[in-house]
Amino acid sequence: MSTRVLLHVGTPKTGTSYLQDVLFRNQRTLAAAGILYPADRFDAHFLAALDLMRMPWGGLEKQAVGQWDKLAKKVRKHDGTSIISHEILATASRAQVGRALTSLGHDDGTEIHVVISVRDLVRQIPAEWQENVKHRAALSYRAFLDQIQDPRREERISTWFWGVQELPEILDRWGDDLPPERIHLVTVPPVGGPQDLLWQRFSKAFGLDGLDLTLEAERTNPSLGVPETALVRRINRAANQELEPRDYRPLVRELLAHQTLSRRVDSPRLALPPDLHPWVSQVTASWVDEIERRGYDVVGDLGDLAGAPPVTDYVDPDHPDEAQVADAAVDALRAVLLEGSRWQRREGELRAELDDAYKALERSYLRPTYRWRERTVRRLQNSGLGRRGLSAYRRLRGRSSPPA
Amino acid sequence: MSGDGETPGIRRAWGWAAHLRDGGTTPWRDWAVEGTAHGRHLPGAQQLELLRRLNAAGDVSDGLATRVLEASAPGRGRPDLELVGSVDVLAFGPPPVDPADLSADELLRVAAGLLAEDVHAAGLPVAGTVRPRPWRTRYRLVGDPMLADPRRADLGSRGRPPGGRNELVVVLGTDVAQMMVDIWTARSIGVGTTPWGEWVRRARRLDALPRRIDLPRVARTAAERVGVRRVRVVLDVDALPRLVGVRRPLAAAPELSADAVELARRTGQVLGLLATPVERAALLREVLVPRLAEHPGPALVLPRRHVEWVRGHARTMRDELARAGYPVHGDPDGLLPVDRPGVTRPSDAGVLALALRLLLEKKSI
Repeated sequence: MSTRVLLHVGTPKTGTSYLQDVLFRNQRTLAAAGILYPADRFDAHFLAALDLMRMPWGGLEKQAVGQWDKLAKKVRKHDGTSIISHEILATASRAQVGRALTSLGHDDGTEIHVVISVRDLVRQIPAEWQENVKHRAALSYRAFLDQIQDPRREERISTWFWGVQELPEILDRWGDDLPPERIHLVTVPPVGGPQDLLWQRFSKAFGLDGLDLTLEAERTNPSLGVPETALVRRINRAANQELEPRDYRPLVRELLAHQTLSRRVDSPRLALPPDLHPWVSQVTASWVDEIERRGYDVVGDLGDLAGAPPVTDYVDPDHPDEAQVADAAVDALRAVLLEGSRWQRREGELRAELDDAYKALERSYLRPTYRWRERTVRRLQNSGLGRRGLSAYRRLRGRSSPPA
Repeated sequence: MSGDGETPGIRRAWGWAAHLRDGGTTPWRDWAVEGTAHGRHLPGAQQLELLRRLNAAGDVSDGLATRVLEASAPGRGRPDLELVGSVDVLAFGPPPVDPADLSADELLRVAAGLLAEDVHAAGLPVAGTVRPRPWRTRYRLVGDPMLADPRRADLGSRGRPPGGRNELVVVLGTDVAQMMVDIWTARSIGVGTTPWGEWVRRARRLDALPRRIDLPRVARTAAERVGVRRVRVVLDVDALPRLVGVRRPLAAAPELSADAVELARRTGQVLGLLATPVERAALLREVLVPRLAEHPGPALVLPRRHVEWVRGHARTMRDELARAGYPVHGDPDGLLPVDRPGVTRPSDAGVLALALRLLLEKKSI
């Protein structure tokens, strides 16, 4: 039984991809220190979270069947500390939290800690809109902002946003059954601080100080600027009805957004509209008061949650500079053309391979013995003795052909 | 909503939960009696209201009541909500609700999750193996899946599996409007698909029929493999038994109401997280569909505004099949849409009512 489980439950856009990549790539080093990060693929904990919450995710859920129980079993078997991390766990219901804690041994004495990394809403709000756009959303920034300010929270967008962002409420669900000293908040430092400060905080919260970990990560979740996000949103509006979800992810999210448009770093950045700062400050202050009252362990500084002051050069992504959008569109077209040409080359190669295979097949059909052998196999398959003989022959030959 | 720190409002909520657990049907707004905590946390408004609706619809076993109260609504949507009046105005979290105001869709999320658990727990019936008859007619059935799939399964159970040398490829079809309904139905009880309205709008926007019911294309693909002479287009299913070498009529697909298909689609979404894709399709087909078929209701039909659009495709289809020279069994004009009785979309209230009936049938889990 695990003696200690560190359960990192969010929030999105707080360096979680980086943390998970470091943990995944350093499993051996961690294991040598008695720490288990049980993942046979980089997104293992994402699949487990989908399974726990029974959440469809564009077809990926097919790979998630039974993954939470599998993960929990590995954790229970490990004698030492285990780490589980995925940001969508933030939206788990109380019943799902109960199931998760029980499956990890909470009722049997395992020491469970909940870790949550948090970033100021000044950065989280535009980042969440952008993330929605990278997941096919076509709503404007203003519509997104209106939805998240609507106190009724009946829409899908606002439900999800607050489900993964509203810190006191997330910790109500995850921390209801845990003492406050076992709940750890890691705050994301403001822009401009030391590069590795966030990692230092993660390292402290997860007890990784002193371990010789490779910190170069391959997986990050890059950001887009204003014209680039506006462009992807327009592509969503134009192509959503025709583009299948299985094609959207590799073509729009990966090829266009992550591999192409995220490299355009000189364009204006998304920001919180200045007129929303007072509201955000008020919400944040209420969170900070509540967290201080509850007495959670804070790794970092709750002052980080205040966020930067309003930007003076705010650019509205609903009314972007059209010349900048056109520039981004040219880059996008170029990437699509190059990808199309790569696929055409690959298709030609595959066609040639297929032609070769057909020719080889025809040659084998033309051999005079082929029809005789085919007749013999058919005759043998019509009797029990023949089938047994055929099966013995195939075993001896070293491969098993399926019955005709 | 933890059990400690109780206020009169929380105690009233626990009292209502106990009342519902005992089979009560009083709405929350009319409830006043306080009770004591029973569990780690109060169930959400969706779970409590679903149990109230179940109690109103029939006898709920203790086991089912417990499952409802401990359930989570699967997938994305509103989180478990608090009861208005049970707590003070909250500083955090979604606002409390009167459960009577919850939409059927919200309750259906929880119900579909429970139903998926039932279907999964029931497991697949053990299929007996039937030895193939050596002298059977070799055939392959393609086209409209709601015509082809059940008949293929029936033939298989009679020792006549599809395939084999010199097979006859039979392309099954009916009027195109019905085939649109059929293909959405087949996907809803198979691999899963989007809601009906969204699905039809997408097909319309693409101005293309789904491949499986594009009969000239299906026939052409078959003809390239076996030759035109070994392809038959069948628009009159009564002609099929003779073509595949049997005398008795073949099993047709069970008749499902529009609400039943939608419930299967919603249940299938959750089942996709409990079973592999192959198991999921088999569980829907063999466990859920027979139960849904026992609850008749209006069938789904194509909305009138799309009929002229499919009529154009039907004419093209008819003419292409005639030009290609495939033998056609049945009237080629049978591809043109005809008026059928039914509803143009499932109703959330109807789907929820059906879900309640199915949950109540399953009292033991």
